[in-house]
Amino acid sequence: MNNIKKLIFLSLLVSLGLAISILESFIPLPFIAPGAKLGLANIVILSTLIIFGYKEALTVVILRSITFSLATGSVTSLFYSLTGSLLSLLAMYFVYRFLSKMFSVIGVSIIGAIFHNIGQISVASIMMENVKIFSYLPVMNLVSLFTGYFVGLSTLYTTKHLKKIFNL
Amino acid sequence: MTKWDKYLIFFIILSSIIGFSIVRSDIGKSDYKYIKIAVDGKVIKKITFDKNMIGKTIDIRTQYGYNKIEIGDGKVRVIDADCPDKLDVKQGWISKPGEIIVCLPHKLTIEIVGENEADDEIDGISY
Repeated sequence: MNNIKKLIFLSLLVSLGLAISILESFIPLPFIAPGAKLGLANIVILSTLIIFGYKEALTVVILRSITFSLATGSVTSLFYSLTGSLLSLLAMYFVYRFLSKMFSVIGVSIIGAIFHNIGQISVASIMMENVKIFSYLPVMNLVSLFTGYFVGLSTLYTTKHLKKIFNL
Repeated sequence: MTKWDKYLIFFIILSSIIGFSIVRSDIGKSDYKYIKIAVDGKVIKKITFDKNMIGKTIDIRTQYGYNKIEIGDGKVRVIDADCPDKLDVKQGWISKPGEIIVCLPHKLTIEIVGENEADDEIDGISY
């Protein structure tokens, strides 16, 4: 794949991730823990990680977080989303790169969701100077089992077709 | 789905249950409890539960925004806020020591503290 094609596709992925994040903020999961989200933007990030690699996924993550906080207009959410998604990307990269014989895409996605929770809760507890916020973590991890499974399944089908398009 | 995926799911369910039970056991059963309201890590209000306080509402206005709190019989909730998602309102009542309502955009935490975990003595009702 030549450079321009790659550039265009990456920017498409960033805008797709942004659009999904904004859409997702309209449909919260009201019934469970506060702040629980579907994490659909992770489909985009995980697909980028699988199709392109770590560097490209990092670009998409950082650009998506910055554009998302620009779109919603809150600076504090930049810290939450950036820390959460960077930590989750790091975890997903290591699992996908070194343990891909053990875990399928679904497992990678679940691990990403868990580390996203850990990152966000750490930022929240540092910002509020209150360690008790970690008491949300068990509930959030249980929720992210389901969302992570769904995201992993979606990524599996997405990357299957993307690989066909790019003849990888 | 590989078998390691299943191990992972099992492990997460197990750790969540363990974590949940630790959080539960951390919640004391003391009769005496009070509400601690903090903004940006600094305690701005401590309210003890009292029969006169039932049904009272408190406005909290800070530089970050506005929240309205209602106090019930040994419980507390947020009834109004101007944060975008209003997750603190959706959370409803909290009553047990150790339970906490968090409003991320306003850096506000509302916590119920039991007697045994109070780190300083209260001289009176500050309302």
